[in-house]
Amino acid sequence: MKNTFLIIILTLSFSLNADWQQPELSHNLTAVKKVIQASDFELQDMDEEKVKLSDYRGKVVLLNFWATWCPPCIREMPSMERLHQRVSADDFKVIAVNQMEDADEVFAFTGQLEIDPTFEILFDKTSEVSQDYAVRGLPTTYLIDKKGNIRYRAVGGREFDHAEVVKLVNSLIDE
Amino acid sequence: MMKCLLVKPALLIAMLMLLTEAAATEVSIHKNEISGLLTWTAADEGFKIELIQLLPDFIRAIYAKHNFPKQEVERAAAYCIFGTIIKNTSDQHLSYRVSDWRYRTQDGKQYPVKTKTQWLEEWRKAGITFSWTLLPDTGEFAVGDWQQGFTTVKLPRETTFDLIYKWQLDGVAHTGILENLRCAPESLPETS
Repeated sequence: MKNTFLIIILTLSFSLNADWQQPELSHNLTAVKKVIQASDFELQDMDEEKVKLSDYRGKVVLLNFWATWCPPCIREMPSMERLHQRVSADDFKVIAVNQMEDADEVFAFTGQLEIDPTFEILFDKTSEVSQDYAVRGLPTTYLIDKKGNIRYRAVGGREFDHAEVVKLVNSLIDE
Repeated sequence: MMKCLLVKPALLIAMLMLLTEAAATEVSIHKNEISGLLTWTAADEGFKIELIQLLPDFIRAIYAKHNFPKQEVERAAAYCIFGTIIKNTSDQHLSYRVSDWRYRTQDGKQYPVKTKTQWLEEWRKAGITFSWTLLPDTGEFAVGDWQQGFTTVKLPRETTFDLIYKWQLDGVAHTGILENLRCAPESLPETS
């Protein structure tokens, strides 16, 4: 726990140190050249309940890979929550897949955020899922359509509640 | 709160003369007034790189938190490590390979930058499965993509060196040089 606290303080310090110099969070998501089916997976949530990606087939899914020690992940998370709040839960789901941490660490971390996340947080404790999605660095985000196809990708932090992203999500919902 | 110190124009011109592909490199150095730690930023054609000094204690905390053996924590902390941010500032496809990068010490000798793959091979032998924090070996960036992670060079604290980095825009190779980077000190200077 001492280490967890120390890492949060140091990460936030690093984030503050680097924050003003870091690239502004852009809002463009890149359409993938070759549309492929998103691999299904089953991971535990904060309550240790098992959740499958395929549970959300029929909804548009924003699938985000992140960790608490990753400054851009921290920066983009509030905008993910705002996007989650803005779009109907009947049509849209935000899933944040944490890398190699546990619920205690994430709970301690989310308590420091300006907005408490209400979207789904899952735990990829061995990074197998991120490897399956060819994630090289954090954060990396995929936008998956209602049929379960990966349609857009973003490497690095984004402002997910930007009007353009909301429009993109709604266009996939309307398909 | 932060100071922005522009690199001397003569130095910048000399750097540009060395670069055949890069059109105009803008280099700036920022000093955190509280910590005294430095950040170098170079904006080249379509490619922006920032290198942020990281204290060994920060590295120790990161890896201790992930249950690295003490020996591996200290081995990593002994390296000169920078938080590194890379951004595609072009409207083209950008790629890079850390294995193409070199650091140049003051005696003019060049050495390869240690890659994530090399670290992971060593960590695997030590029973470590954690694979994040380091700058990915390769990047394939669409418009607006960016990435960050640690860049590691095996140099003592407060050593001055140059980083020679390369990237490609739509397949066209570019090279940049960041001169006079300095490894972080062991700890923050005592403040009165």
